[in-house]
Amino acid sequence: MALLEVQDLHTRFRTDDGVVKAVSGVSFELDRGKTLGVVGESGSGKSVTFLTVMGLVDRKIAEVEGSVRYDGEELLRASSSRLQKIRGRRIGMIFQDPMTSLNPVKKIGWQLEEAVRLHNDVSRDEARRRAIQALKEVEIPRAETRVDDYPHQFSGGMRQRVMIAMALINQPEVIIADEPTTALDVTTQAQILRLMKKLQDDHGAAIVMITHDLGVVAELADDVLVMYGGRVVEEAKVDDLFAQPQMPYTWGLLGSLPRLEQIATRLEQIPGQPPSLLHPPRGCAFNPRCAYVFDKCRAELPGLDPAPDKPDHRYRCHLDDAERERIWAAKKAALTGVEGSAA
Amino acid sequence: MSELLVVEDLQKYFPVTRGLVFQKEIAQVKAVDGVSFTVEAGETLGVVGESGCGKSTMARCVARLLEPTGGKIIFDGHDITHLGRAQMRPIRRDMMMVFQDPYASLNARKRVGEIVAEPLDVHGIGTDKDRKRRVQELLEIVGLNPEHYNRFPHEFSGGQRQRIGIARALAINPKLIICDEPVSALDVSVQAQILNLLKDLQRDFDLTYIFIAHDLNVVRHVSDRVMVMYLGKPVETGSKEELYAEPKHPYSGALLSAVPIADPTLGRARKQIVLTGDVPSPINPPAACRFHPRCPRFVDGKCNVDEPELTPVAGASDHAFACHFPLERWPMDEDEIRRTPSLATSVD
Amino acid sequence: MTQYLIRRIFWAFFLFVVATMITYVIFFVVPADPATLAAGKATKPEIVAHIRRELHLNLPIYQQYWLFVWNLVRHGSFGYSFVNGLPVRTMLGQEIPVTASIVVGGVIMYLAIAIPTGVISALRPRSILDRSGMIFVLVGISAPSVWIGLILIYLVGFRLGWTPIGDYCDLRPTHAIGVCSGPGQWAYHLLLPWITLAVGSAALYTRLIRANVMETMSEDYVRTARAKGASPSRVLIQHVLRNSMLQVVTILGMDLGLLLGGVVFIEIVFGMPGLGAQLVQAAPRFDLPVIVGIVLFATLSVITFNFLVDVLYAWLDPRIRLA
Repeated sequence: MALLEVQDLHTRFRTDDGVVKAVSGVSFELDRGKTLGVVGESGSGKSVTFLTVMGLVDRKIAEVEGSVRYDGEELLRASSSRLQKIRGRRIGMIFQDPMTSLNPVKKIGWQLEEAVRLHNDVSRDEARRRAIQALKEVEIPRAETRVDDYPHQFSGGMRQRVMIAMALINQPEVIIADEPTTALDVTTQAQILRLMKKLQDDHGAAIVMITHDLGVVAELADDVLVMYGGRVVEEAKVDDLFAQPQMPYTWGLLGSLPRLEQIATRLEQIPGQPPSLLHPPRGCAFNPRCAYVFDKCRAELPGLDPAPDKPDHRYRCHLDDAERERIWAAKKAALTGVEGSAA
Repeated sequence: MSELLVVEDLQKYFPVTRGLVFQKEIAQVKAVDGVSFTVEAGETLGVVGESGCGKSTMARCVARLLEPTGGKIIFDGHDITHLGRAQMRPIRRDMMMVFQDPYASLNARKRVGEIVAEPLDVHGIGTDKDRKRRVQELLEIVGLNPEHYNRFPHEFSGGQRQRIGIARALAINPKLIICDEPVSALDVSVQAQILNLLKDLQRDFDLTYIFIAHDLNVVRHVSDRVMVMYLGKPVETGSKEELYAEPKHPYSGALLSAVPIADPTLGRARKQIVLTGDVPSPINPPAACRFHPRCPRFVDGKCNVDEPELTPVAGASDHAFACHFPLERWPMDEDEIRRTPSLATSVD
Repeated sequence: MTQYLIRRIFWAFFLFVVATMITYVIFFVVPADPATLAAGKATKPEIVAHIRRELHLNLPIYQQYWLFVWNLVRHGSFGYSFVNGLPVRTMLGQEIPVTASIVVGGVIMYLAIAIPTGVISALRPRSILDRSGMIFVLVGISAPSVWIGLILIYLVGFRLGWTPIGDYCDLRPTHAIGVCSGPGQWAYHLLLPWITLAVGSAALYTRLIRANVMETMSEDYVRTARAKGASPSRVLIQHVLRNSMLQVVTILGMDLGLLLGGVVFIEIVFGMPGLGAQLVQAAPRFDLPVIVGIVLFATLSVITFNFLVDVLYAWLDPRIRLA
């Protein structure tokens, strides 16, 4: 049984302008110790999906439907006190902006200790000891003195390490990382990603890596979900996704990346912009922007169906399979044909 | 091809003050500390670096939004380093800027037509009718609907707003456009649209660009030549082919290897160098070579004593770097990069 | 931090001196003759001249100012009233407790109303409580304190007879006959004035606190706290309240200056012998020593409160402390 099983999750927000369909039928599984990459742009629903899983969505303004089973337990109908026990203890979360994600008026030590004492009945001394240990684990120098500093006394990269320490301190089974490196410099990002890989090896936790950066996904993930317009539009093992993407949106994403290993003079661009979740398009959400659209796309939502030879690789597209292969083969040739050194 | 912009030894220091009643200067933030480069007409110079490297400050100095503390800026033959506002005015017709944040760089209370027409207004070009026609022309050039002349910025998406900013920059046919991280705040699929647009415009209107970004992939795609900055100084410059294929400075190497590759097979195979520590503050930069505390090739007694100068690579007039122990080859992994040759051998 | 404090003290002192100088200058720019006023009607010119000499009004401004400063520093004296000859210090000594009682009690009352109301409104936006709270706010901000005071006196004091109509009672019990005193009577008589003062400001602060709490609730670090598994009450108390109070503290400091001005109306309406009432009497009579005494006290209070607010703010927000 998978550690986290999400089935047909829907999250709709009631706003003054109408109902925003942030998540419309998302299903996936996360196994112990694996890394799931969730890729999408703004409005794809990637963040809201996991906020819903964690129960961090305000049920007064959001309607949530579907099933979220964590280790066999249904979370969507769990009491808030039950959810509080799971959050921060069995599922940890890391957010995007380390500058604002830490309470500016409380010491780092206090915030780490809070994480410990919320879930463990230990003395303050013990909590402090664990806090210092956690800081050492994320490679913060002079942890014994730094534990009494305030967030603004740390740099961005250090703050993100503190966030990671806070998420890991109770040895959770799952870490959900929502764009953890987007706000960081590229060399700091490399450090943080390497740290996360090491910690995963040490602790055996499963990681959900939510990001818009396909490079990060390629580096870390075992499996990938591509989200668009509140739905999963493609799902595959990471090697399969990059070798044989099956859906025009994924082609567009891969093609629109300027890459170090290619010398394309013109990037493939996806016209238009991400869809409105207030009035999503009928049928396939990508149809207004798709170069291969035909009538069925506008009328009927494609199901998330597996590829004929790879049951693990699923995608939402009405295109005929033969057609799909032909198009991708042509694109691939164009992408890799004029190649510099594959560094 | 002539040199459109020549920058010599540009410096910009910001004072840090302290004091009970009267503020006195106790230190300086040396945001830009000796940058020199040239930009030929029609080419794109990419400037790449991380936070605190001074690239944005440098851009603002070149555009004279700030006054340099030292050095010289020669634009189209004129020395604009210390010109006053009135004297800068005619120069500003030829030099425009596009900014990073499409949400903050447009005045939310003005209609789009007004925003794009502002440069025309400021320089007193054309009648009202002429301006309206020009604005509609510009909106069309950047791929927007000219009928949306009267809309407000919040009615547009991020990518569209960035197009508005570009239309505004084009309004009076500048020679040079300085783009300060123009696509960093945009979604990936929209990024490609804007990058393609910028390239098309360069071709159609004979533009010269200075393109500042922290994303190495993006910089390589748009630039002809690239300058890598670290803590206020350039550490390597060169044509994009040379710099990306054969970086000489360890920092350039680290930057290149830190960029995640969107291909799992290649990613696993490649050699990665991960630096330790954070980017230090420009208030108290390290002595001599500013990169030495983080450099995997650091040699005590040399790197922290002698500041390396920008030296050209033998045989390549364009490629220069500032390092005592440049990389002999590329790629390298973390073990290889630490093997510094003995002090007796120096540069290429 | 110490540097910060020293700098604030220095500026406070400087402001203090400037305030007194300006008061003196204004006094002398205004065309009026306190000597004549003090002498009364139909007096012979020699008497007026004599009074003028007595009050040192024949000396140039800077000398009068210097005398004032000398008196203050050497003898701790504020001089004597031109009108009744009493030492200003004694007069102030009697009036300050009255004004202070009204202001301090009023502030405590409105904070006690505003904080819970503001927080609850923020936690339950658009609820009935929130909406009725907003109506209360609107009334409180719009109605002038004089009107509120008079309405309260009429309805509650006169018609219903629930509270006394005015008059101030000493906090310390005395056994003098015919004079009310003691903490019970003191508070009882101050009830209506406190409510009058509080109504206007409670409204403003409720709105402010509501806005701040709502904004703080949507901050990223609150989301982090929830993600750690903190209960809603813990999130509120440990993470939200302290951060939302920062702005309240700042505004409180600024407000105290304004409050001292508004308290004049309340003192007159309720017949309280405080500084405000005194000032209203002294001003048309150009009773300079009294005026200057009150201005000094007011300036000192505003400066002190602002200083305390700055210190409190620094204590609450470590980013200020360690900058």
